[in-house]
Amino acid sequence: MSVQVPATLSAETVEKIAEERNEPEWLLEARLDALDALEDVELPDVIQTPGRRWTNLEALDFEALVDPLNQSDETERVSAEGATVLSFVDALDEHEDLLREHFGSVIDPETNYLTALSAALFTTGTFIYVPEGVDAEDVKIRAEMNSRTLFSHTLVVTEKSGSATILESIESGEDTDGEDRYFSNIVEVVAGENSYVQYGSLQNLNEDTYHYTLKRADADTYATANWIEGNIGSRLTRSDVETELNGDGSESKIVGSFFGHEDQHLDVNARVWHKAEHTTADLVTRGVLDDTARSVYEGVQDVGVDAWNTSSYQRENTLMLSDESEADASPKLIIHNHDTEASHSATVGQVDAEDLFYMTSRSIDPLTARNMLVEGFFVPVLEEIDVDEFREDLQELIAARLR
Amino acid sequence: MHPNPYRSVTRDNTTMATLEIKNLHAEVAEEDGETILRGVDLTVNSGEIHALMGPNGSGKSTTAKIIAGHPAYRVTDGEILLHLDEQDVADIDEELDEDDYTWNLLELEPNERAALGIFLGFQYPAEIEGVTMTNFLRQALNAKADEREELFEDEDEDAAEAEEEEDTGYDTSPMEGPADDGEIGVAEFQQLLKEKMELLDMDEKFARRYLNAGFSGGEKKQNEVLQAAILEPAVAVLDEIDSGLDIDRLQDVSKGINALRDEQGTGILQITHYQRILDYVEPDHVHVMLDGKVVKSGDASLAEELEDKGYDWIREEVYQAA
Repeated sequence: MSVQVPATLSAETVEKIAEERNEPEWLLEARLDALDALEDVELPDVIQTPGRRWTNLEALDFEALVDPLNQSDETERVSAEGATVLSFVDALDEHEDLLREHFGSVIDPETNYLTALSAALFTTGTFIYVPEGVDAEDVKIRAEMNSRTLFSHTLVVTEKSGSATILESIESGEDTDGEDRYFSNIVEVVAGENSYVQYGSLQNLNEDTYHYTLKRADADTYATANWIEGNIGSRLTRSDVETELNGDGSESKIVGSFFGHEDQHLDVNARVWHKAEHTTADLVTRGVLDDTARSVYEGVQDVGVDAWNTSSYQRENTLMLSDESEADASPKLIIHNHDTEASHSATVGQVDAEDLFYMTSRSIDPLTARNMLVEGFFVPVLEEIDVDEFREDLQELIAARLR
Repeated sequence: MHPNPYRSVTRDNTTMATLEIKNLHAEVAEEDGETILRGVDLTVNSGEIHALMGPNGSGKSTTAKIIAGHPAYRVTDGEILLHLDEQDVADIDEELDEDDYTWNLLELEPNERAALGIFLGFQYPAEIEGVTMTNFLRQALNAKADEREELFEDEDEDAAEAEEEEDTGYDTSPMEGPADDGEIGVAEFQQLLKEKMELLDMDEKFARRYLNAGFSGGEKKQNEVLQAAILEPAVAVLDEIDSGLDIDRLQDVSKGINALRDEQGTGILQITHYQRILDYVEPDHVHVMLDGKVVKSGDASLAEELEDKGYDWIREEVYQAA
């Protein structure tokens, strides 16, 4: 069953967006193709357990949520020496060839309904280009969403032996008076031979916002493509963070964290495809739920036929602070090549009573003890972060949620 | 004397805190929970070393956990009192009355008992990832000072103060260690920690490691004694602190326990199965538990006798008398 295309959307809408931004023909064509595809493509798959469909994306009222011609954001970008960090529009002027070559090369706009919607309508986003051998540290993108709808498309390209550590943060701007909002964030990473990318993304949208993100990397020979994601805000988040290990000896770490409270709903997914020899993947997700928040996780390690000598590890842990929160986790390991060392696990549990007693027996009051345990629970995630500012921000948001 | 500016208690031989356990009955805190303690009587004064021995299942560890307030047990009868003296409350600025010197521990939360001067050395200490030793211990030391103020605070002022000073609790990062915000600054705390670690022959690197995470059995036990040395309790209950220790580590740990008593005047209630540690930490009193009761007490020679003859003769003695 595909989703009704909102009546507010037409080729004219798309043409208007392209025209306002003075976009080249090829991009307009790509947008119009994506618009056409909306009638045929489906919403992303969601986890189903007996009697329950965890995330009901069909219930999203796109008619009301999608307001394509009034998109607005304020985005601050900090570059690093030798690298290019530009808004998508500005990059069209300076690096059109690179954009044309790579846009949609990692994430096909017709992957699903939401990616097609994004390709047709996106108005913001960033282009990061790291030339051969350049080491771009602490690239920062701080985005503020200032409209009912915002579609963002970001493209990262690292050439041979280049390196980039990136922090992206997303917040809501002005007060929304409880109006429902929709934020879509597509990120493509093209990690060239022997290059290194760590893309950190911290989402703290207000709790009237529905949030969809698909981030995918294509890792070439000996490339490392690492993701770190923190989901703190939003009413509902559907996040898919993925790496295709296409080159021999390539590696990926996908690190996820979330802290849901009140009525938040978090659907987070990490996936890796081992498609070449000697590839390594490590998927680590840690989440905390309070109040009536819900989380659903799917982790997939897919080891292809040609993926000789694969190492692949996955673990997910959810910590529940409330009896009324709910969590489901599905770690999946699909092996088509026996020459694989792999592990996968998921746990859902509460704060350990013996740990708490141990801490209180040293004079620490129970609430402080619990908070210390929760903050300690996130440390394995924090330790992976390259950009200090990202680590500090995530820590602060976790601490703030505990008070 | 030990140059520690943060000592909450300074003792000489004329002062004394007392832990008094009277007719303690307890069961597992479940529906139809098994009865474990059937009338424990035990008194430990500060500055004394007591050994609590007995076969498996006799109730030794349960006694220890109940003293500290473990939620898995329900006390059905009896009481646990902590008597303090002037020196124990020398750090408190408030006007104190009679009541402030005797506390019914069963009415208090585990953290309150700890703040008053009860310490439990765990048989199996928790491994806590992401919380560094330094951070944890400094937090504990500051929490103890805060909790003590609250416990001894005049009740009328209670509400007003609570409003005035919202307890922000733990407000520092587990990654970077504590901010300089508590009673005890980072640098001063580091110095204190360093001294105590030297005393126990512990490597400095422990301070930066996560609490007990990946520690060997022996390192965990050393760490328990280190914590007692830093928190300076009136009475420390050490639950099988000697199990899983090689001889070198046993000597380090024993040195630490003796220092607790000699330098801080802590009373020690040491639960053990073996005579071995008692060669290094000589007890003033030895008690034997059987079926949930203390059935026999004596001096150090009782432990030696137990080592030779086991517990059966005591069992016979007790049941013949009954």
